[in-house]
Amino acid sequence: MRIPCPYCGERDAHEFSYLGDATPARPDPAAPDAQDRFFDYVYLRDNPAGAHQEWWYHAYGCRQWVQVERNTLTHAVAGARLARDARDAAGDAAGNVPGDAS
Amino acid sequence: MAEHWSHPLDTLPFDTVPPAGHYGVADMTGVAARRIEGLSIATLAPARGAEAAITETMRQALAMELPGASRAVFAGARTLIGTAPGRWLALSSLDRDIAGTLRAALGPLAAITDQSDAFIALDLAGPKVADTLAKGALIDLDPRVFLPGMAATTVLAHIGITLWRREEATWRLLVARSFEAALLRFLVSSAAEYGFELDARG
Ligand SMILES: [Zn+2]
Repeated sequence: MRIPCPYCGERDAHEFSYLGDATPARPDPAAPDAQDRFFDYVYLRDNPAGAHQEWWYHAYGCRQWVQVERNTLTHAVAGARLARDARDAAGDAAGNVPGDAS
Repeated sequence: MAEHWSHPLDTLPFDTVPPAGHYGVADMTGVAARRIEGLSIATLAPARGAEAAITETMRQALAMELPGASRAVFAGARTLIGTAPGRWLALSSLDRDIAGTLRAALGPLAAITDQSDAFIALDLAGPKVADTLAKGALIDLDPRVFLPGMAATTVLAHIGITLWRREEATWRLLVARSFEAALLRFLVSSAAEYGFELDARG
């Protein structure tokens, strides 16, 4: 399987490490139901057969987090963008970008 | 192919940096590797929002264009390599302290860190460099694909490297100093069938 890193170009998946689902959004810790929502955020995941948005870390290349759309049935990759660009597109400075949770 | 040759790794301790010399097939040199001495190396990362200012200052002070992708640019004895968005390696065989040169030019615009002792730099030349590297690489190093001026931070024989092609038949790479023995062992082993020369004199 190859992942098209937006900076490095197409690279073997072995250069990356996998984090998981890229869609959960970090809840507001001040919300009254924060404890329940954090439980969902930390532990509950869907297991979709098909398109999946996920985080990959390009450890042996540019050391950037990359958001990849991968088909879990075929491993076909439909697209990839740097996490920093995904965050900017979301317009959310406190967005759900791994390694930037502070 | 030349007559029988014993495999060079048979007598090479795995934790020792191979000595200079000729390995593998005698009477031909498909790959000649040379450890580049006296190279000054630094990483360069712009302060937040300073990327445009740095690009302009590098142009004016050093007459160098910061590559916007994983490419290498050369200006005399200085080289700039893009390794990540907003991150570059600067190498120089001219400056005793390239980090100091950059700091003097860029001041507070960038974070500059000396890396001279972190890496071993290898110069690889010869008709079989691409074939040798291909044995351990995960990227396409066909000379028609990986063109002069291209660079890649990637893996070679499970070891992290930054590789760039300087000229048609000249490739260079940086490897962490602690991996020198392992990487040279890979080169000795993989280039033995083509004839491998390490640190030829003259
Ligand atoms: Zn990358």
